[in-house]
Amino acid sequence: MLVKRSSAKTAGNKRSGLVAALADTLESGVSRRGFLRRSGLAAGGIAAVGALPGAMIRKAEAGPILPNVEVVTRKNVCTHCSVGCTVIAEVQNGVWVGQEPGWESPINQGTHCAKGASVRELTKGTRRVKYPLKLVDGVWQRITWDQAIEEIGNKLLEIRQASGPDAVFWLGSAKFSNEGAYLYRKLAAFWGTNNVDHQARICHSTTVAGVANTWGYGAMTNSYNDIQNSKALLIVGGNPAEAHPVSMQHMLRGKEHNRAPFIVIDPRFTRTAAHATEYVRIRPGTDIPIAWGLLWHIFENGWEDKEYIRQRVYGMDEIRAEVKKWTPEEVERVTGVPGAQVRRVAEVIAKNKPSTVIWCMGVTQHTVGTANVRALSILQLALGNIGVAGGGANIYRGHCNVQGATDFGLDVSTLPSYYGLAEGAWKHFSRAWDVEYDYLKGRFASKELMEAKGIPTTRWFDAVLAKPGDIDQPSPLRAMMCFGHGGNTVTRMPDMVKGLEKLSLLVIADPHPTTFAAIKERRNGTYILPACSQFETDGSRTCSNRSMQWGEKVVEPIFESKDDYTIIYLLARKLGFANEMFKHITVEDTRPVPEDILREMNRSCLSIGATGQSPERLKMHMKHQADFDKITMRASSGPCAGDYYGLPWPSWGHPEIRHPGSAVLYDTSKHVMDGGGVFRARFGVERNGVSLLADGSYSKGSEIEDGYPEFTMAVLRKLGWDKDLTPDEMRVIQAIGGGGAEVDNVSWQTDLSMGIIRVALKHGCVPHGNAKARAVAWNLPDPVPIHREPIYSPRPDLVKDFPAIEDRRDFRLVQLARSLQFKVADSDLRQRFPMILTSGRLVEYEGGGEETRSNPWLAELQQSMFAEINTRDAEKLGIRDGAWVWVYGPEDGSKAKVRALVTDRVGGGTVFMPFHFSGFWQGESLRGNYPPDTDPIVLGEPANGVTTYGYDPVTFMQETKVTLCRVEPA
Amino acid sequence: MARMKFLCDSERCIECNACVTACKNEHEVPWGINRRRLVTLNDGKPGERSISMACMHCNDPPCAAVCPVDCFLQTADGVVLHSKDLCIGCGYCFYACPFGAPQYPRTTDFGSRGKMDKCTFCAGGPEPDGSVEEYQKYGANRLAEGKLPLCAEMCSTRALMAGDGAILADIYQERSVRRGYGSGAPGWSTAYGRNERGSPFAPGGPGTGGA
Amino acid sequence: MKTPPEPPRNPPPGNPLQRRDILKTLGLGAAGAAAAAVLPAGDVAQAMESPQEQLKTRYRETEHVKRFYALNRL
Repeated sequence: MLVKRSSAKTAGNKRSGLVAALADTLESGVSRRGFLRRSGLAAGGIAAVGALPGAMIRKAEAGPILPNVEVVTRKNVCTHCSVGCTVIAEVQNGVWVGQEPGWESPINQGTHCAKGASVRELTKGTRRVKYPLKLVDGVWQRITWDQAIEEIGNKLLEIRQASGPDAVFWLGSAKFSNEGAYLYRKLAAFWGTNNVDHQARICHSTTVAGVANTWGYGAMTNSYNDIQNSKALLIVGGNPAEAHPVSMQHMLRGKEHNRAPFIVIDPRFTRTAAHATEYVRIRPGTDIPIAWGLLWHIFENGWEDKEYIRQRVYGMDEIRAEVKKWTPEEVERVTGVPGAQVRRVAEVIAKNKPSTVIWCMGVTQHTVGTANVRALSILQLALGNIGVAGGGANIYRGHCNVQGATDFGLDVSTLPSYYGLAEGAWKHFSRAWDVEYDYLKGRFASKELMEAKGIPTTRWFDAVLAKPGDIDQPSPLRAMMCFGHGGNTVTRMPDMVKGLEKLSLLVIADPHPTTFAAIKERRNGTYILPACSQFETDGSRTCSNRSMQWGEKVVEPIFESKDDYTIIYLLARKLGFANEMFKHITVEDTRPVPEDILREMNRSCLSIGATGQSPERLKMHMKHQADFDKITMRASSGPCAGDYYGLPWPSWGHPEIRHPGSAVLYDTSKHVMDGGGVFRARFGVERNGVSLLADGSYSKGSEIEDGYPEFTMAVLRKLGWDKDLTPDEMRVIQAIGGGGAEVDNVSWQTDLSMGIIRVALKHGCVPHGNAKARAVAWNLPDPVPIHREPIYSPRPDLVKDFPAIEDRRDFRLVQLARSLQFKVADSDLRQRFPMILTSGRLVEYEGGGEETRSNPWLAELQQSMFAEINTRDAEKLGIRDGAWVWVYGPEDGSKAKVRALVTDRVGGGTVFMPFHFSGFWQGESLRGNYPPDTDPIVLGEPANGVTTYGYDPVTFMQETKVTLCRVEPA
Repeated sequence: MARMKFLCDSERCIECNACVTACKNEHEVPWGINRRRLVTLNDGKPGERSISMACMHCNDPPCAAVCPVDCFLQTADGVVLHSKDLCIGCGYCFYACPFGAPQYPRTTDFGSRGKMDKCTFCAGGPEPDGSVEEYQKYGANRLAEGKLPLCAEMCSTRALMAGDGAILADIYQERSVRRGYGSGAPGWSTAYGRNERGSPFAPGGPGTGGA
Repeated sequence: MKTPPEPPRNPPPGNPLQRRDILKTLGLGAAGAAAAAVLPAGDVAQAMESPQEQLKTRYRETEHVKRFYALNRL
């Protein structure tokens, strides 16, 4: 029954450009008899059974816990989603032998989902990469670490010499610890490029951009636990029952205790919707119309919080004008939702306050992702729900540390802590890192490129395939350093494969080989470095609610694997800048000490308040978890008394001033030293004669009882508070300001002494100023969110009314939008691809899925890739449940062979595919391409093999949720 | 004396499979054997509900009644255990069990299916508690360590409960009253008998949708 | 922490003789033989609890268990 391990044959990819593909008709390259023959073979991963013990009575050595051998208990954090579940590991003789519930964790309270309950398997490592590998003429060869670093380093230096530092793409990971993420960003900076990115690009970059542009910070405002205070829950484009199962514990408690209405808006009747009190099915890609439809009723009935809007929101009148267009009839025309239902939902969320809005990738992964996020944020502002316990924008981030990796700068547009890339930001970090600004500048090809956003991970292959003149940097990409990142989570895989083929160097550092390693077009120039998991090292990670948790090393890195810190150090040393880069970070042997890295972060990441979370405090929190309340997350006794669990940022100032962290952002009902806050003054103090500062609203105990700008030396002087600075603080500020008039410009963000922050706090003020949230964000392409049809719109009749943005350039590349959308709408594509394709997650797997599909406990639960097809559609197409079907995409003759799951979970005309699969390509198995013994147990076609072009203009987020497809029986 | 029971609150169960995986992890259950599994009713339709199912450790267990080699035993706290040394893999217990709990390493129409395997309520087997032999045949013995079945201990939404039946019934009743309705505690009446008296919100009670 | 009693850490891999002995002791037919092939070796009599021990109560309402109940009431 084993899946045939034959070397796969990819169907001939004709190199055809995107636009050319539109004219391309479907290719029927493979015969139907071929499918039938193959379908008999590949009964999913059941195949693997043969390799596993068949009897329950097991071999003698398999019993994990040994009698009379000391059991050591270690505490770490689940490496899957962003909920941040504590994992209790029992270790004997250096082997992880048992997993116990961690009752004390205020977050998961001992619970796990399937993924969390399976993490012990990761360190058994049956399918892990065991030693460094090099691909030589299509064959994987074992090499030593020394050889690997030497060869990779030499190649990188050669590319740098010939094509400049920007020819290398540094792809980091949300699987890094905070310290790893920060170090990797620093590595890219010392290498001299901003081409450094990670998974946030493809999951919540639009959230970060959207909410940061609305009220100051790009993060979940409240916490999972706080949802227990909600009187109504509105979940839009999210399926926490599968993606964040443990969060459902808090959500269902809220639903039960408060008898809170639980409303799910989604094109798919998800497992979350199964627990909803009301389910609203929208057409994919119509989130703004539904948000404005709700707001239409709220404004029409005067249900908005008028005083809150007056005090704390800028520009709501412009929103009113746009919302006025979205009458119940218009909403129904565009979204398909009946007017009465929209009204009912609007009334429920307006009259059961505080109400919370929860969203996930169903909102973010769109060509209008940022605008979607902003529309929902504005809905919450209109209801006065932001900065309130039980309210908030509860944005569920994806990976275990995607929040932290974003915060610490694994991003093409910023240095750590959202300082941006302007000269001031580089100067701040050159001071923090204790290197000359000119040294850093010298590492880059030019000052211009040093301050220009890099190439995002959604488009790296376009940057490989680009002609030199089409890309705003000296050379197309030639090398990719890929740490902890699947290759199947980005759209347009047929183009990705072409890009991969053209790279001169591909380095994969990962516990598992990833999709990148199995692409058969590459035969040379690929290296795999065995990186260990976060259970095999120490470091902090930030959950969605901004709490940082310190994970303790459970076991030593297995086989020859090394942790991210060590690999980064080895590369830096080979590339010749380790001394500068690790000037203030202790390196033991070749391993930088994570506590030291965190201390450097604490010293430099002032702007998000990542300064109070010293390693000592974080470790103390982990040790005393039991002292924290399970709803407020605040400790009332013990050594952490007064702190919020994990010191959710901002935790202002030096650790010594013991700021407790901020459980609910922008909460004016609390003193700033109690976790209170206000909206951030980030966009000036005035626009067109209208004040942007808060009007009569301020956090409890503030000595300024009104709005105020962010704190700088000038502001302190005006207030007469500069006298509160100590001589030591003053000396640092003088040094940063260079002594002259520049001293006035030293701000709370750049004052490395943190004196300005300390003084602001002392007077009850928030260092970042007290402004209004922006309903209108004038710096974005759509200052007021407006509906735009997707590029591959299933409603060509609406395209002229709701066109995509104009074609443009950004992130060093061209972005096609309206021209392509119109071309699609005017073609006969809709007839040839009559169904909507959308994608999402499954509970058993995570991200690209290699790690979880390699885990037999999880793999057994979901053994084949599938597409959900509505019952009536299946009947029309003659498709049985469980039968093989081809899903054809409209670009590049793309196609995927998967099993049909016939269900009413999806509406008529909609097809849903999970995105965790890879290892099959257009009907062929790639199993033979993986390095020996590392192929995941379950393989399947990647959903992104058939997804299409389309990007958000603000972040280049990819569109994964709406495209077109055709399904045929295979 | 405490009577061990399982209770799955289907208002809470989200079919996340934590229970299934926790079981695999704790006992190193091999591929193909599922001591616990999820059953979903009305999949993808309004009214969809999932329940986690395993051996319910019934009163008067039907598996024991039909076993030709009498390999079953029920402990004083109600846990149904069996001896793999005695089991002949005939499969009768599978036909008798209302929950489909017994599992076999081999599928065959004729002859032995191998030693039957099923949920032990994390209570090991007839071998001495915590012995290597016990672990090898039946998995961990958490009950003897003063713990409860890991599936329930790790349940993501606190849907699946295990422990003293009287306490579970009490917790379930609290939840139903709080919600204002009961949704049935699936399998409860079948395993432990009907509850016609007492609160209508008790599991198996008339106000909970029965089952 | 798990503190099981003393039995040998790693029972020696079963040798055919012992295995056959087990079969004899238990009166198992040929049907059981396949599965028994991986039975751990050892003195069967000693490896079994007495009938009384087998039926004893294993459950105890420990702090660990009480915590579980309390969390279910939240």
